[in-house]
Amino acid sequence: MVEVKGLRFSYLVGMDILKEVSFQAETGEIVGVLGANGVGKSTLLKLLAGILTPRDGSISIEGKPVQESYEKVAYISEAGSYFKDLTPKEFGTFLLDFFPDFDMVYYEKLLAYFQLEEKPIKNMSKGQKAKAEVAAGMAKRAKYIIMDEPFIGKDMFTRQDFMQALAGSLTGEETIFITTHEIDEIENFIDRGLILQDGKIAADVRMDDLRRQGKSLTGLMKEVTGYKDGNFTELLEK
Amino acid sequence: MLDFKKLELNPSEPVYLQIVSFVKRQIFIGTVEQGESLPSRREMAALLKINPNTVQKAFRLLEEEGIVVTPPNAVSIIHWDEEIYAAIQKELTAGLVVDFVAQAKANELTLDMVMALLKDEWEKGDER
Repeated sequence: MVEVKGLRFSYLVGMDILKEVSFQAETGEIVGVLGANGVGKSTLLKLLAGILTPRDGSISIEGKPVQESYEKVAYISEAGSYFKDLTPKEFGTFLLDFFPDFDMVYYEKLLAYFQLEEKPIKNMSKGQKAKAEVAAGMAKRAKYIIMDEPFIGKDMFTRQDFMQALAGSLTGEETIFITTHEIDEIENFIDRGLILQDGKIAADVRMDDLRRQGKSLTGLMKEVTGYKDGNFTELLEK
Repeated sequence: MLDFKKLELNPSEPVYLQIVSFVKRQIFIGTVEQGESLPSRREMAALLKINPNTVQKAFRLLEEEGIVVTPPNAVSIIHWDEEIYAAIQKELTAGLVVDFVAQAKANELTLDMVMALLKDEWEKGDER
């Protein structure tokens, strides 16, 4: 279980990007962290991964502070790792030294599945880099997986392959936090949506409940963020 | 044979219920046989790109309704008897129009109006 209590964070003093964020996520739950650009989604994920430290409040994983649970967490982002001179296989060997549970067999399977070439990761396209990152993250066999925009730079077919590899590699015991603008790709995958707005959780819904009420995730996001469908008409009028 | 590739998930119903309905429909239209085995939770999760726990939830519901049975030390299989089949039949025929008729009545439509609308819509589908 992940427990977040009274989380506050700012990059600059006095400018809180997250003001008061509290929630719990059960083991095995897949949570979509959603909201407009700049609302703090990536910041929240970095806090959950222990990469950033909160100004106030706490994050615990299985009752322990997140900084003490590093080996249980995989953080997968578009920004990628810091070892770009390595090829995918070299990167795997490196990870094996660091993470006792690193699954080399599965890692190589994923590299083959994603058709990744053996060349330095820094020379790869954005999409290929993301695949290398995902393969490394999943092969850590982490119980807590944090994914920041995993679809960036991926075409439709790659997104589909990626989602199938991801869904097929889960045991049901992993707790996942994922943020993306590709709502279509994840709306059947996530169990729950957290919508951030003004530094707080503006909506926290279970997908099954939302659908039983005849609502959609995009509809709810528009509702919460106050987005108006007719905005473009102002442009046309002149 | 149960072919879950044919299941196209929509964004408006809970996913686990869509899986349950899909299995029932396959039984009703006769594309699945008694004793056929179910794919594994993981295969289903990968194929449908969903949480394996969602698959589990669907399997549990099917088990509760007696449509999926898991013999000791064996894979889960599809099973139904007359009673279960009758329930599925009812759900996929008469059950289909219960909500629809209630809504049509709430909108104060007459039976004639509804029949005409139904006919139009039905034939529109055929033209495609």
